[in-house]
Amino acid sequence: MTDAAAITAVQRILVCGDGLAARMTLAALARQLPPATAILWARDGRQDDSDLFYGNVTGPSAYAFNLAAGLDERLLILNGATAFSWGTRYASWGAGRGWMQSFALPFPVMDGVQFHQYLAVAGADGIDPFVAGLQAARRGVFVHPPRAGASGTPHPLSRAEYGYQFDPADYAQGFAVAGRVERVAGAIASVTAAEGGIAGVTMDDGRVVTADLYIDVSGPQARLLSVVSNDAPTGRSIAISADDLPADDQVPLRTVRATRHGWQSDTPLKGRTRRTKVGAPEAIDGPPATLGRRSRAWVGNCVAIGQAAGVVEPLTPAPMLLLERDIERLLTLIPVSGDTRVEAAEYNRRFAEDYDHAALFQQAFFAAKGLPDGAYWQAACADPVPEKLARKLTMFERRGVLVAYDLEPFHPEDWLILHFGMGRRPARHDPLAARGDKAQVVAFLSTMAREIEQGVATLPPARIYRTQLEQYLRKAAS
Amino acid sequence: MNGRGIASVCIVGGGTAGWMTAAALANRLSGLGVTVQLIESEEIGTVGVGEATLPHIRAFNTTLGIAEPELMRATEATYKLGIEFCDWGRVGDRYIHPFGNYGPSDDAIPFYHQWLRLRAMGETGRLDEYSYPIVAAEQNRFRHPASEPGRVESSFGYAYQFDASLYAWFLRRYAEARGVERIEGKVVDVALDGERGFVRDVTLADGRKVAAELFVDCSGFRGLLIEGALQSGYDDWSRWLPCNRAVAVPTESRGPLGPYTRATARTAGWQWRIPLQHRVGNGHVYCSDFISDDDAQQQLVDHLDAPMQADPRRLRFTTGRRRDFWKRNVVAIGLASGFLEPLESTSIHLIQDGITELLELFPDRGFAAEDIDEYNRRMALHFERVRDFLLLHYVATTRDDSPMWRHFRALTLPDSLRHKIDTWLTRGYVVPYQFGLFLPPSWVAVMLGQGLVPKGYDPRVAGIEPGALARRAAALRAEVAAAARATPDHADYIRQSPAAAGLAA
Repeated sequence: MTDAAAITAVQRILVCGDGLAARMTLAALARQLPPATAILWARDGRQDDSDLFYGNVTGPSAYAFNLAAGLDERLLILNGATAFSWGTRYASWGAGRGWMQSFALPFPVMDGVQFHQYLAVAGADGIDPFVAGLQAARRGVFVHPPRAGASGTPHPLSRAEYGYQFDPADYAQGFAVAGRVERVAGAIASVTAAEGGIAGVTMDDGRVVTADLYIDVSGPQARLLSVVSNDAPTGRSIAISADDLPADDQVPLRTVRATRHGWQSDTPLKGRTRRTKVGAPEAIDGPPATLGRRSRAWVGNCVAIGQAAGVVEPLTPAPMLLLERDIERLLTLIPVSGDTRVEAAEYNRRFAEDYDHAALFQQAFFAAKGLPDGAYWQAACADPVPEKLARKLTMFERRGVLVAYDLEPFHPEDWLILHFGMGRRPARHDPLAARGDKAQVVAFLSTMAREIEQGVATLPPARIYRTQLEQYLRKAAS
Repeated sequence: MNGRGIASVCIVGGGTAGWMTAAALANRLSGLGVTVQLIESEEIGTVGVGEATLPHIRAFNTTLGIAEPELMRATEATYKLGIEFCDWGRVGDRYIHPFGNYGPSDDAIPFYHQWLRLRAMGETGRLDEYSYPIVAAEQNRFRHPASEPGRVESSFGYAYQFDASLYAWFLRRYAEARGVERIEGKVVDVALDGERGFVRDVTLADGRKVAAELFVDCSGFRGLLIEGALQSGYDDWSRWLPCNRAVAVPTESRGPLGPYTRATARTAGWQWRIPLQHRVGNGHVYCSDFISDDDAQQQLVDHLDAPMQADPRRLRFTTGRRRDFWKRNVVAIGLASGFLEPLESTSIHLIQDGITELLELFPDRGFAAEDIDEYNRRMALHFERVRDFLLLHYVATTRDDSPMWRHFRALTLPDSLRHKIDTWLTRGYVVPYQFGLFLPPSWVAVMLGQGLVPKGYDPRVAGIEPGALARRAAALRAEVAAAARATPDHADYIRQSPAAAGLAA
């Protein structure tokens, strides 16, 4: 059998930019594309500043993404400051509001009715006692969630999910860019466009580098895409700053507090705690950015990934969820011929949906009363509420129904925890939830809460767990 | 239920939609003090479309607590692994759209991309050989899915082929046993209240009035309440799916019992063949622009493979959907809500969708506009996505041997479908969605089955060493073939089980 494969996949891909998006993209491409495709990297531009906008937390999807990009979690834990994370505690978010936004797998469906519909029936206020990751986070403990107990019965933590707490510059180093990636020396001098695409990238030594596909990971300025498309984001402006505190408690939880100027977060890492401040550009001494996405991220032979396509406020894991999705979307649509119109259309369709759906989640943080005053808050609250978000809010507040759209980055569990956390309570519950025997419902819920409570009570503090895990991994490696 | 809760529901119309709704409400609303009444008239026949079902119906039955053997005995049901399509891509072609995936379901890149690459390298085998339900169906074999994960016999779905009238009858007994009151009578008048324009009550031919807070319109095509009284309006989709008539006839059972439904393309429509235990259901769906009723009936009769058991019955319909599936205090379910030809066995499924969404958004007496709007948004999406999938069958073809096929070749497709076909042809990529009935494997089955072979495949499989690719494929094929060989004959399997009813020995 001969391998006269009928497709002419792209022969040369040029990745332009540096930082987290560049490294994640390069690692994933190098891991997954066939060896015949040359991957070139014009490493240019300092992006440490703009990379701060990727924030300090990933979602649970990071584990699988990293694995597919060749980054084994064991290496991530052994070699960097990245820590495990159950989610974020919004310690103060106006009007005395505070809640824990942890990751979770779907809650059980009982008698065909969604779990949360029983909360009001049983007189439970909120969902916290039933979210295993959240209870573990409260105690500062961590283990990898087991999927089933030894006896085959579900472990109380089996519905918990975790992500990572990270410092973008450190996290980026985890993604190995070696082997097949060919570095292009020098800095980019200019980018030439022709026929709606990129004709070539001229380096500062005068050399022109060409490729079949150009990946723009140059950050918000989008040095490639902006040459072939002139629509920049037009959202509100924010600025960000970051510094490190010596605190080393390694609590598996980021803490966010609303401030007069915006918000600030403390994210425990290994050996330090990263403090990030976000607010109106006038109030924060750090790099600014304009939020929002471009109308198209793929134009001609140029694909913008991450902040080159859109900048997202790191209030939630949204920036990382979207960066991962950008790269995965690219991998499923790597062109198979010189004509990329179909790929571009599909890429841009999904890109727009993903960004817009993630934006709904973030905007829901500002659809509340009693938020602080000030330029940042006024601007955030002035964004009009899209119809899709209004529908989600209304249907939950009226009757606890979770409206969902195709393939949203944030799952129904995320929305549920957010709604409850922000103090939204359904005016009435699902009438079908009243069918069950109330005493039984109460007993079921209290058993579930007790099992979670007992399950987390025996777990080790995150720092101890990590230390022991590292010892084990080092021993296993030697 | 609280003070604003609905206390009375009236279902107008029996038939499959009416009794499925009645059974589900009787089950799900039990203990909530809701009375459910159903008005039907023995004078008005039911249409009984959709003798073939989709795997989702098992969840519906399970929720009701109905045991499979009991259901199958009562409805003369057979098992169904998919649908065989004949003469669609071109005359002489055939393929099975199975309830299951091709190759392992947990491959990060769907297995068919590997197959496309093997094909580009000169491998000539069919993708079907990697689908256990297809291979088993082709050999007229059936077994229930195995419970051990990871085996090819464990990762498929199945449904039933049954007598929809018997199913309605079965559910009627179920519903009546759980307190649903059946009212024999013909609705002659519908009264609205003056204030909100809600349906207040319906008047029967004998003068009785039946009032309720919520009405479910299961009156069939005419939509007695939703259209007759409330003028919801109808989106006519005939420009895309022009078939508007059907003629149906049962025949005797002959030959082996296939665990699949057959849909054979004709010059002005298509013909169905649905094998039940005691008979075979047949019918011809056609477009009256392209063939006369008499010729359509003759074409059907000419293509039957066994003697007829009754006179052919004729039906008329207009493909499309109600603008508002739910308006004021009336929810339309079944044919009253819209019609899509039963090419992919979606009629009963759309009833099920309507019931499921109604239960999740069950109103109180306030009938909030938000609930109604959300219901209508969801149902519109269900209908539109099924529509696109049905239309695919007519346009993924090289046929131009009759005016109907030439009509489809000149058709401008909905953008959503055009885009989906383009991405497939370019690179074997199926545009994904979450809220729709037909998932990517179904699209792959129909597109490949009807001759849409992609020019490319996912480049990520190009990195696999060709020898390893071929060895893995051969092992998968062998596993499917062995599993199919070890599967019992479909008819024997039913005969030896408590599901047996009218199946001849």
